[in-house]
Amino acid sequence: MTAAAHRRLSPNAKAALGIFARYATIVGLVGMIVAFSLLSPKAFPTVNNFTNVLNQASLAMIIAAGLTLAVIVGELDLSIGFAASLHGILVTGLIVSNGLPIPVAIIIVLAAGGLIGLVNGIIVTKAKVNSVIATLGVGTILTGLAFAYSAGVPIVSGVPEAFLQLSLGRWLFGIPNNILVMVIVVGGLWTLVERTSIGQEIQAVGGNPSAARLAGINTDRIKILGFVISGVCAALTGILLASRLGSGTASAADSYLLTAFAAVFLGSATLRDGEFHVLGTLIGALIIAFGFNGLNIFGAPTFSQYVLQGAILIVAVGLSSLGRSIAES
Amino acid sequence: MNHPMSSLDQPVSSERSNATPESRPFLTVEGAAKAFGGAQALSSVSLSLHPGEVHGLVGANGAGKSTLIRILAGLIQADRGTIRVDGSDVEIATPQQATDLGMSFIHQELAFVPGMTVLQNIMLGVPKTSRFGMIDWSAIAREVEPIARRVGISAPLSSNVKGLSTAENWLINICRALVRKARLIVMDEPTASLSAAEAEKLFLIVEDLARSGVAVLYVSHRLDEILRLCARVTVFRDGRSVADFDRADLNHGRLVEAIVGRTVERAAKLPTAGTRGDVVLKVRGLARLPKVKGVDFDLFRGEVLGIGGLVGAGRTELVRLIYGADALDTGTMQLDGVAYAPRRPADAVAAGFGLVPEERRADGLVLSKSVAFNLTLSDLSHIVRSPMLPLIDGRRRAAIADKLVRDLSIRTAGIDIPVGRLSGGNQQKVVIGRWLSREPKVLILDEPTRGVDIGARSEIHRLIRGLAARGVAVLVISSEPDEQPDLCDRVLVMVEGLIVKELAGKDLTRNAIVEASYAHPAGPEEIEP
Repeated sequence: MTAAAHRRLSPNAKAALGIFARYATIVGLVGMIVAFSLLSPKAFPTVNNFTNVLNQASLAMIIAAGLTLAVIVGELDLSIGFAASLHGILVTGLIVSNGLPIPVAIIIVLAAGGLIGLVNGIIVTKAKVNSVIATLGVGTILTGLAFAYSAGVPIVSGVPEAFLQLSLGRWLFGIPNNILVMVIVVGGLWTLVERTSIGQEIQAVGGNPSAARLAGINTDRIKILGFVISGVCAALTGILLASRLGSGTASAADSYLLTAFAAVFLGSATLRDGEFHVLGTLIGALIIAFGFNGLNIFGAPTFSQYVLQGAILIVAVGLSSLGRSIAES
Repeated sequence: MNHPMSSLDQPVSSERSNATPESRPFLTVEGAAKAFGGAQALSSVSLSLHPGEVHGLVGANGAGKSTLIRILAGLIQADRGTIRVDGSDVEIATPQQATDLGMSFIHQELAFVPGMTVLQNIMLGVPKTSRFGMIDWSAIAREVEPIARRVGISAPLSSNVKGLSTAENWLINICRALVRKARLIVMDEPTASLSAAEAEKLFLIVEDLARSGVAVLYVSHRLDEILRLCARVTVFRDGRSVADFDRADLNHGRLVEAIVGRTVERAAKLPTAGTRGDVVLKVRGLARLPKVKGVDFDLFRGEVLGIGGLVGAGRTELVRLIYGADALDTGTMQLDGVAYAPRRPADAVAAGFGLVPEERRADGLVLSKSVAFNLTLSDLSHIVRSPMLPLIDGRRRAAIADKLVRDLSIRTAGIDIPVGRLSGGNQQKVVIGRWLSREPKVLILDEPTRGVDIGARSEIHRLIRGLAARGVAVLVISSEPDEQPDLCDRVLVMVEGLIVKELAGKDLTRNAIVEASYAHPAGPEEIEP
């Protein structure tokens, strides 16, 4: 869909199209929940199921929220799925093999996530390697490191109960820990982007890097920050996934890459005209989570999940660029 | 089939056409109105154009000229009003319809397909004669050739468009319009990037077009061109057509008065002799080949220093070095007596510099963001609650933005609307305004009034003089010969990467700048240390 195509529309039709693009995702989310509730009134619309969906989706929301920062500053981070897999192995390895206390292991792994983001950021800003290539390369290296660290064997035995409780436990009014962590991360990142001076710089770099640079913003530093946040969030998702699975397995978290991208692009088409933002990503991740939950409840075959995931990604990017071209015309 | 190629040479007639202003108008616009969001870009404009007439359209930035052009071109639709072509009501919903009605548009940013020939670019989107399903380029070339010669294209039709001058690109566009048998050609700021000689050639072609019965809507800020070329002139102000002059009733003063709605006063130039402050910036041997080849100068507190010269003389490249936007090959700088070596613009800004770049849309503004966002972008530390907790204080930000909007009289529907919706002059004020709350030591302005109307221009000049009076050292690049004598205390003229002349006092005249701009760089005249 090109901007030229919209010029043929009357102003009213164009305004309607803009509203469609902004609210289509939310309408889709609500419509899906209503439809599933009508089709499966016993299994779907229950507090239990909703809590479950949100609990499952929390890990995707955290990694996607982190990715949003990288995408706002105008870069792509394809290393996050591979990184999260590595972090899962690393955290279980540090606890089981090296006998480190759980909090120490978590802090080390979060720092490793930040370090990977830093490396991504430096390669992209200083060596001027296109971010798609840079992060794909780094991600592939990380997969290699994961195999090297685990010697290809998943770490399954000896994972302490306390580490499992990290993801399985509940706190405050019995809300699952995953959801609480997700709310803190997403809330924190939303505040950072929308309400702080660093967030203004992040948005300026994303909106017009040249103008941001000449306005006195250190654009390289802001881009690196985007990658670091993306890396730390990937580490957090990797840790929580390892805790939920009770094991560290190479490539366990690889599929989060596609989910995160679908959520980010769906989110950019939500409420704003093709602009990436944290709240949108949250809504995008919810759509994907409820979609898969519905497929599961209706016993759809495995292949349909891949079909849906791919279709969502394409529709999401399409809606996102539709929003942008309307904003520009 | 009515083939557009069948009689290409039909409009090629140097006879004076019968068209007179008394004939039926080709185009009539009545009461056209258009709003964007809350801002009324056009309130009510009317205009009529006769065949063979060169019709001037003038007005301040934001007066509604480009909105009307975009409506005529089918890019946007008017909310109200009627458009008639040859006396019958028409609706122009797409650019294709505008073309079919015989209207052709030539903009400042010319669109070409690089790598294609002149002929291919002329024929873009025009149905072509074919032989056995193959495009018969040689037959097309034979038909286009006379038109190309008539508009003065000297390059062979088979040559590549890459490397042609802006002037030649204009001619190709005019040729394209004629091939499409345009009856109206709209030219938007045609001479903005042309040299005086090239502009002169263009005028002759415009006059020739008019003689052959083509109507020309000539949009320009350059009033001397309007006075020379146009038989009639319509003036827009604040989205309304406020005056419609016949050439006979027109002079410079009346035109300016109609555009501004008040008499323009010149920014009073402050006396400079003896008021010069200390040296703020000392520049020695600054070079980045091939554009900047070793530049020395001193910039004094409270002065407005112009950098004159032709486009391509290395002026923009020089200020980019000073601002840390590009890396130096060699050279040193001192700011207030201390070594100054910016590695990036952020260093320059921290040291007290500000830059208003030449391309304000590409390099100055985040267009999708609000006026307030863009006004406070370089001064974020002033709008956070505390340095430790950098949360934006929305009220303080609004207060700063509101004050700047008032002080600079930026015309906007509000501080929260996207800055991309403002007119050029108002966008420029936003870029300048960004630096004011920082109280910069050195403010660099690259072509501060390009594409800005005279009202806004004199406001910007007053603003610059006011800054200098407060002790700011101002560096101004301008390609408009009249601007620097009005505005600057001193002008350094650059030719091919070197400063060849320093002009000040009574030597600082338009002619002296132009003369020095054409000097040979091999033998630079002596420059005072």
